[in-house]
Amino acid sequence: MRNTLLILFLLPFATHAQLNCKAYLYTGDTARYKACILVENIDSLYGQFMRPFHEKYDEALKIAPNFDYAYREKSTAYLKSGDFITWKKLIDKAVELNWRLNLGYRGWCRYQFFRDYEGAIKDIELLDSLAKYDIGYSQNGDYHLNIAKGICYSAIGQKQKAIQIFNLQINTPNYEAGLYDYFQLGVTYFEVKDYQNALICFEKQAKINNLADNEYLKAKTNKILGNTAEYEKSKELAIKLFNENKKLFDPYTHHFNKVYYSSIVND
Amino acid sequence: MKKLFIPLLFISMSAFCQEQKSTTSLYPRSIGNIEFDPNLDKKEFQLCRSDVDVQYYSGKNDTNYQGDKEMIEKAFKEKYNPENAKNESGLIRIRFIVNCKGETDRFRVIGMDENYQKKIFDKSITEQLLRISKNLKGWMPKNFTSKTNEVFSYDYYQYLIFKIKNGQLIEILP
Repeated sequence: MRNTLLILFLLPFATHAQLNCKAYLYTGDTARYKACILVENIDSLYGQFMRPFHEKYDEALKIAPNFDYAYREKSTAYLKSGDFITWKKLIDKAVELNWRLNLGYRGWCRYQFFRDYEGAIKDIELLDSLAKYDIGYSQNGDYHLNIAKGICYSAIGQKQKAIQIFNLQINTPNYEAGLYDYFQLGVTYFEVKDYQNALICFEKQAKINNLADNEYLKAKTNKILGNTAEYEKSKELAIKLFNENKKLFDPYTHHFNKVYYSSIVND
Repeated sequence: MKKLFIPLLFISMSAFCQEQKSTTSLYPRSIGNIEFDPNLDKKEFQLCRSDVDVQYYSGKNDTNYQGDKEMIEKAFKEKYNPENAKNESGLIRIRFIVNCKGETDRFRVIGMDENYQKKIFDKSITEQLLRISKNLKGWMPKNFTSKTNEVFSYDYYQYLIFKIKNGQLIEILP
């Protein structure tokens, strides 16, 4: 029973993007097609950390040394175990072979797992300069890569540049604000003491996806602006949302500007 | 139930077969595995299972530490003092096992510079980080509840990454 429970528990974490091997055939790349077929169903057999998973991808790379997907898949276990050196070697190889599919991903991971803000900015800006299309979203879908770039600029202290990037993305035609976009913009306004704009952002965020973190920052802003009743109301709501588990959450790490419970209750 | 057990049996058998032919493999049984080393590890540190297969992010909990990550940050803020290594920058990862009782051991350290190249940091940094890490007492075991409401506790791998800039500890991950 223990083994059954453990395997059932681990399987969801072994599943990710499905391969479409036929895509290689359409481009006449039979070597990559064969390599792809070899690993097509591997996720249903082995977790990303398991030895046979890596051995199988090594076999695939012998068939097609340019099979970038294999390097990226092999890199994941190192990323999730915090082995930055091995991860970087593998993901660099994937990027070298196919920047279109891997450069944005590498940039995002540099931010998400290693808080390598400068490295992430470099990758996202390089992708933006090379791609003639929308550069897309982070691997977990939480942020558009331009918003992620804005977060990185904010983290290195370039707040005005971050605000400009956030606004540019949010106001892009046909772009729908993401799950946490207005929260991150609001916090950055708050940090530069632009409380009116901060409040507008927190209110917009509350309508899209209200979180304890957002409500707490809204409370803090109202406190500074002297809106005592609004402050009390938002603080109470922040505690309620926190207890309902409505807060910034990332299973692998913590969100930028995450708020701890003690900060809310001790404010 | 039968349908469930057939793939599970297949997975277990596959893993077993791989185990038999694995003596020359480039890889450990699982990436990041930490085997017992009598020169580094406590003999009295017990695992609840023979193999540790769970990683820190598995399960429903949003934190593995009592009082959340804030308490970890507090411990390092209070105790870390980089007085002798002001030119050191990069990342240090300390990986270890939390057993099913919430005890820790098998600590392993790697470091990199700001270009993802291997780096051995000044001992005054790594030894302090290691000592503080070993003294963190709030780790919680991972508990999973079966359909019949039985609770099982598992050992798991956890790591802490320390972002160091000119000797200063500026961020802790994950």
